Amino acid sequence: MADGRTARGADDDGFPVDPFGPVAAVRPFLVTAGRVAPTASGRPVPVETQVVATAEGLEALDRLSFEQHDIVAACRQPQSIAEIAARLRLHLNVVRVLAEDLRAAGQLTVHVPHIDVTRDASVLRRVIDGLRAVPDSRGVLRDTD
Amino acid sequence: MASAPSPTPGGYSVTPTEPAARPRAHGSAPAGGTLGAAQTAVRPPLPVKMVIAGGFGVGKTTAVGSISEIEPLTTEAAITEVAAGVDDLTHTPRKTTTTVAMDFGCITIDPTLKLYLFGTPGQDRFGFMWDDIVEGAVGGLVIVDTRRLDDCYAAVDYFEHKDIPFAVALNAFDGKVEYDVNEVRWALDVSEHVPVVVFDARERGSVRDALLVVLEQALARSEG
Repeated sequence: MADGRTARGADDDGFPVDPFGPVAAVRPFLVTAGRVAPTASGRPVPVETQVVATAEGLEALDRLSFEQHDIVAACRQPQSIAEIAARLRLHLNVVRVLAEDLRAAGQLTVHVPHIDVTRDASVLRRVIDGLRAVPDSRGVLRDTD
Repeated sequence: MASAPSPTPGGYSVTPTEPAARPRAHGSAPAGGTLGAAQTAVRPPLPVKMVIAGGFGVGKTTAVGSISEIEPLTTEAAITEVAAGVDDLTHTPRKTTTTVAMDFGCITIDPTLKLYLFGTPGQDRFGFMWDDIVEGAVGGLVIVDTRRLDDCYAAVDYFEHKDIPFAVALNAFDGKVEYDVNEVRWALDVSEHVPVVVFDARERGSVRDALLVVLEQALARSEG
């Protein structure tokens, strides 16, 4: 399109395209028994919060069902809340609620990052140094064209 | 610099018990490792989050995709169209809900540190959703299409209001921008401390350099 707007939700011919595929047969919060907040008191954990399956969780895998099973299985390697939601096509807040349940049951560990730490100068310097090492698309650090 | 007492060595509050003080996490996942090792809860990397904002179709997902080590992922969040907390959702069933898409990617800095890049939904009426994404971010990059300057006002306002370090990056569509950096700076009326750069969302090196500008801002703030 001339205006450069690449409309999400419409293909080249203007037909609407569902970016998320078929609508789920189950409403998101049915799987959380209607709960929408991860904890009674706390704020929702950040989307980048890391979640890892425990040995206990992996052992219990066969006894877990549906979303709980999928989340624990997906967290053999550390995953962020957002990655779990994207990969399992679950609502972010559903993942937050279920991850808290699974943590309380000892099947996951939930690692909430502290802003004081991520904004600390030493951490930022490490990110800067690491990012500087990312090559250009051509595989060189800096190109002259 | 104010001392920021680290709750744990890795900077986490970890809820259940964990194997304490692992001296150094091993990076490359042990392919074909023993079952026992695989079942040990590993210490995840510390996630550092940056936010990529800007108007609709301005190149946010392109920028994330240029530098992310994974194909950008999309999550959907169905939320109320009025600015209400999620807690209200069950109590106000008549509110219309909207599904917004949020794209994100990541870069592993080292085995203990991972940079996440989250794109905000382009529409400013979803501003209330941003808090959910932006909470805890170290900085933001506002991408601007100079042909549609006004599309970025919401993002600039948001970062200024939240006092989050940010930079403005003019996306050079077709290798050029309609207005130069000074003209855009004047038009947006951003503080002189806010960097305004020209970049190409399709070029990994260009995206990297724009992100570095933001991180330098965040570092200066942290050291200040």
